[in-house]
Amino acid sequence: MKNLAVLLTTLLAIWVSSAQTTINGMVTDKAGNGISGANVYLEGTYDGASTDENGAFFFETGETGTQTLVVSVLGYDPHYEMGDVSYFQKLDIKLIEAINQLTGVTLTAGTFEAGDNSKVSVLKPLDIVTTAGALADVVGALQTLPGTTTINEDGRLFVRGGGAEETQVFIDGIRVFQPFFGTAQNIPTRSRFSPMLFKGITFSTGGYSAEYGQALSSVLLLNTIDVPEMEKTDIGAMSVGAQLGHTEIWGKESLSFSTQYVNLAPYETLIPSTQGVRWNKPFESIQGEGVFRSKGDRTIFKLYTSFNYSNLDIDQEDINFEDFVRFRLRNNNLYFNSSYKHFFESDWGVSLGASISRDTNSILVFDNDIENNETAGHLKAKVSKSFSNRFELNMGAEVFHTNFEENVEQPDGFSFESSFDDVLWAGFLETDIFFSNDFALKLGGRVERPSVLDELTISPRLSLAYKSGEFSQFSVAYGDFYQNPIRDVLKFNRSVTSEKTSHYIFNYQYLNDGKTFRAEAFYKDYDDLVKFNTQFPQFDSEYSNNGSGYATGLDIFWRDNKSIDNLDYWISYSYLDTERDFRNFPEAATPNFAPKHSFSIVTKYWADKLRSQIGLTYLHGSGRPYDNPNTPEFLAERTRPFQNLSFNWAYLIDQQKILFFSINNILGINNINNYQYADAPNNVGVFERRAVRPAADSFFFVGFFWTLSDDKKSNQLDNL
Amino acid sequence: METRTVMKNKRSIRTVVTVCALLIAVALTAQDQYTKGMSKAMDLWGQGKITEASNLFERIAMAEHDNWIPYYYVAQVNTTSAFGLKDEALLRQRLDKAKEFVDIAKRIAPDNAEIVVQEAMINTAWMAFDGATYGPMLSGKNMQLYNRALQLAPENPRVVYSKANWDMGSARYFGKDTTPYCKDVERALELFATFENDTPFYPSWGQDQAKQVLEQCKG
Repeated sequence: MKNLAVLLTTLLAIWVSSAQTTINGMVTDKAGNGISGANVYLEGTYDGASTDENGAFFFETGETGTQTLVVSVLGYDPHYEMGDVSYFQKLDIKLIEAINQLTGVTLTAGTFEAGDNSKVSVLKPLDIVTTAGALADVVGALQTLPGTTTINEDGRLFVRGGGAEETQVFIDGIRVFQPFFGTAQNIPTRSRFSPMLFKGITFSTGGYSAEYGQALSSVLLLNTIDVPEMEKTDIGAMSVGAQLGHTEIWGKESLSFSTQYVNLAPYETLIPSTQGVRWNKPFESIQGEGVFRSKGDRTIFKLYTSFNYSNLDIDQEDINFEDFVRFRLRNNNLYFNSSYKHFFESDWGVSLGASISRDTNSILVFDNDIENNETAGHLKAKVSKSFSNRFELNMGAEVFHTNFEENVEQPDGFSFESSFDDVLWAGFLETDIFFSNDFALKLGGRVERPSVLDELTISPRLSLAYKSGEFSQFSVAYGDFYQNPIRDVLKFNRSVTSEKTSHYIFNYQYLNDGKTFRAEAFYKDYDDLVKFNTQFPQFDSEYSNNGSGYATGLDIFWRDNKSIDNLDYWISYSYLDTERDFRNFPEAATPNFAPKHSFSIVTKYWADKLRSQIGLTYLHGSGRPYDNPNTPEFLAERTRPFQNLSFNWAYLIDQQKILFFSINNILGINNINNYQYADAPNNVGVFERRAVRPAADSFFFVGFFWTLSDDKKSNQLDNL
Repeated sequence: METRTVMKNKRSIRTVVTVCALLIAVALTAQDQYTKGMSKAMDLWGQGKITEASNLFERIAMAEHDNWIPYYYVAQVNTTSAFGLKDEALLRQRLDKAKEFVDIAKRIAPDNAEIVVQEAMINTAWMAFDGATYGPMLSGKNMQLYNRALQLAPENPRVVYSKANWDMGSARYFGKDTTPYCKDVERALELFATFENDTPFYPSWGQDQAKQVLEQCKG
């Protein structure tokens, strides 16, 4: 018995203290340099150690038999080694650098991002609201970036010598068919979205992914917020209307809505616009937007919807008529966009999305009654698979359906109808390959088949990026882009084919500690542009795809929010050399929307003592081409340069109340957008002209914005 | 004969007792591995060996899948040591690690106020590093986190203190009076005096900081 006890005790003692096995070795990187601070341990046990400054590690373990040795340290892929513990000696472990989305190379040629997390972000969502002159319009803020030109009387995006219709807008990857409010000629429009519903904005000025098509120049990608931070109510009272927003959260579901009523009538009564316009009924709009989200562990569902009714009635000066010409517009727009994403354990991801829009316009112009409506839809399915963080595959298929009908009733009782119906199928396949943290490649292609044109287009896309230093990288991009001819052509003619551009982009970027520098050179080759032989597309015009053109230039961007305390500023410069022969041009020429030089500087200064943010934005565009029929040359003359200095002041009454004041064109500079020449010469044989000027030089805005968090406790601070 | 039997029995009883004691000791050693490991990690942390401490907490966490405490400490070691760092790369490394482990801790213990407070601390570290960039982005989030923590555990002194401290910071930023929050700090101190939790290595920080803040209130 005693012996048994001794035996047991001995055995237990052995078991407890156990024969300790020593494990040791070195952890190094590819170049053989020791990695310090790596965690080396046997999986499932506490036994392990951290590597010293030379990468060496040493520990003892009581474990026996087959074990898994784990080496983990940030910045490197984890390393697993399986074997008998007795073999874990003098190990020489080489770690492979992990692909780091944050500090590694990024495929950025052609894109600007605005978001909270993206390291390539050049704008934050808040910037959109606080950029002087942008008046909380997403597109207004983007117009301070290089590659865009401010076309004062239009308000839409003109990118690198492309017309406004060459840019497409997507919400959560799904197309928006009418991103802008309807408006009259020479009265600038705004985009329909309220910036605060979006968490990230990607603005590509060229060379974008094969996932997007039907845009010759540019895509603007807006992503709605996944999970709102808190329940809150936003109330706004403005000199031009009122707004109300609210966010409600129930666990994983949430709903945000934002409504806005805008009426320019009181403003026009106070400060009437006098330059070539007489408002019968100033712009009025009522608008509602809502996002419902449901986020599971591996799924996100979103439903975005917007409704908008706007109307205006205006008399505008016209050189060809003694009296002002009346224009009246009533627009109804309803848009639904839903998306569903599922992330599977196996690194597969599936996203499905659909959007549908209905847009109706009732227009009165030259006593013609025009009624039109467009119903459009987009369905998209996309599959992505990450094979590792080095290789990712994206593919998808989508279909767009557009139905357009228009009825024009002339004062003489004659009326005619036009319509078209297009179903466009497209498929895309794209890979992202990260060879290392310094070198990455995106390669893809897109196939499109529009039924209305009866053709098949194939567009290759390629983008390469090389990280040349800790803070700098070079990228190149190439791509072919096709787009259906504009609606005004398609409603009369189906024999034309898609218009085409090829983009060649070379980009250098430097990012360091709050400073961003980008320089991008580009060349765009336009082909198969639609031409017609009348002033505007008509049912009896002759159409062809004989147009062509080019655009080349250099975009420079500099942003610095660190060097001077409380000052954040960015400077953009774009040089643009472009000519095209399209529409009814008799020869290749620089179009009216393409000034040679564009310059902008945006500053934001936070004055701590005043609890205010003060912003100044200066825009400068060189003279825009216009055609003088009194000379034989076509589009050979230039307007005087465009200039605009805008100012805003946001005063934080307290954490949740903001008083906002802004003046657009504070110096009252008299800008001339264009000249309109008479259709026929006067009695001395001269074509008379009038300057096309903004309806008013300056614009004032006052707003009071009040946020109420739902939680009463956080309101203590406001003494409310 | 009689005596011998007794003797023998006594001896065998002793053997049984010895064996039992040994077995218990072994069992205790096994159980105590957690205590030993955690204590060692705490020691390393105390000595300022941040990487070693974090690595040991991480090893324990990886072996104790359903215990949120070691995950919590990985996050805490990395967060507290990130305050005051000027090197953005190192700061990001620490705070990303902290966030990774707080997220796992949240999955293990979804409604734990201590973890919620820890998550808010990570955001605060970002804001301390660069207020202009991260302030607008994270201050709303933090307000929400503190409110949630208070909802989950209104009697937890760390929650009460952390929220009061946050509210004071916001008030200071907006040039408001911070004294209304002093009574919250006082209340936190009262709660510290009575707060008990039997879970080994349950978070216990905060009392000293609260005392300091209260002194500032009075001074």
